[in-house]
Amino acid sequence: MKRKNKKFQKRGSNSLSKLSLFQKNNGKFSKMCPLSVKNAPIVDYKNISLLKKYVSENGKIISSKITSVSSGKQKKLTKEIKKAKILGLL
Amino acid sequence: MAFYENTIVTKQDLAEKDLKTIKEKYSDIINSTSGKVIKIEEWGLLNLANKIKNYRKAFFIHYKFEGSNKTLNEIEKKVKIDSSIIRHLTVKYKELDTKNEFFRKDK
Repeated sequence: MKRKNKKFQKRGSNSLSKLSLFQKNNGKFSKMCPLSVKNAPIVDYKNISLLKKYVSENGKIISSKITSVSSGKQKKLTKEIKKAKILGLL
Repeated sequence: MAFYENTIVTKQDLAEKDLKTIKEKYSDIINSTSGKVIKIEEWGLLNLANKIKNYRKAFFIHYKFEGSNKTLNEIEKKVKIDSSIIRHLTVKYKELDTKNEFFRKDK
């Protein structure tokens, strides 16, 4: 019985489980573009640690609806990701 | 004249001598055909995300240079013949930033 209780409690605390990395703790998606802020990271095909965030496990580019990247930066992102894929970096 | 970046992906099973000769060969090509090498970066042996021609790892050599379409054609010609190069990529830039190095190994 004790065991069951513990499990139940854990689930209750984690009811707002995150769907993706880009979600805030309260379950909402942020609306600001993370790439057009001041001192934003450079979008470049050499900056792989940044590009990896915007690619799913299967190598697909994640849509801007989820990541809330502005349309201009999303266009640049796709181009740079494709370049990195040519070199076999992603 | 415009600024370009060129990255060369070479085979994994090359001796250090061969790498040096390749590195010098392409910098000579750029310099001889009315171009000017600004910076050369060696990224070293990196893991490839997926197999390319049955290789899992590869050496990366990165050039930042100034040149015209002559230099680009010459590089294209030489790369196509070269059997030790798997892939290559040239990108045009308005300005080159030589400060940031994304593949430098921190020690």
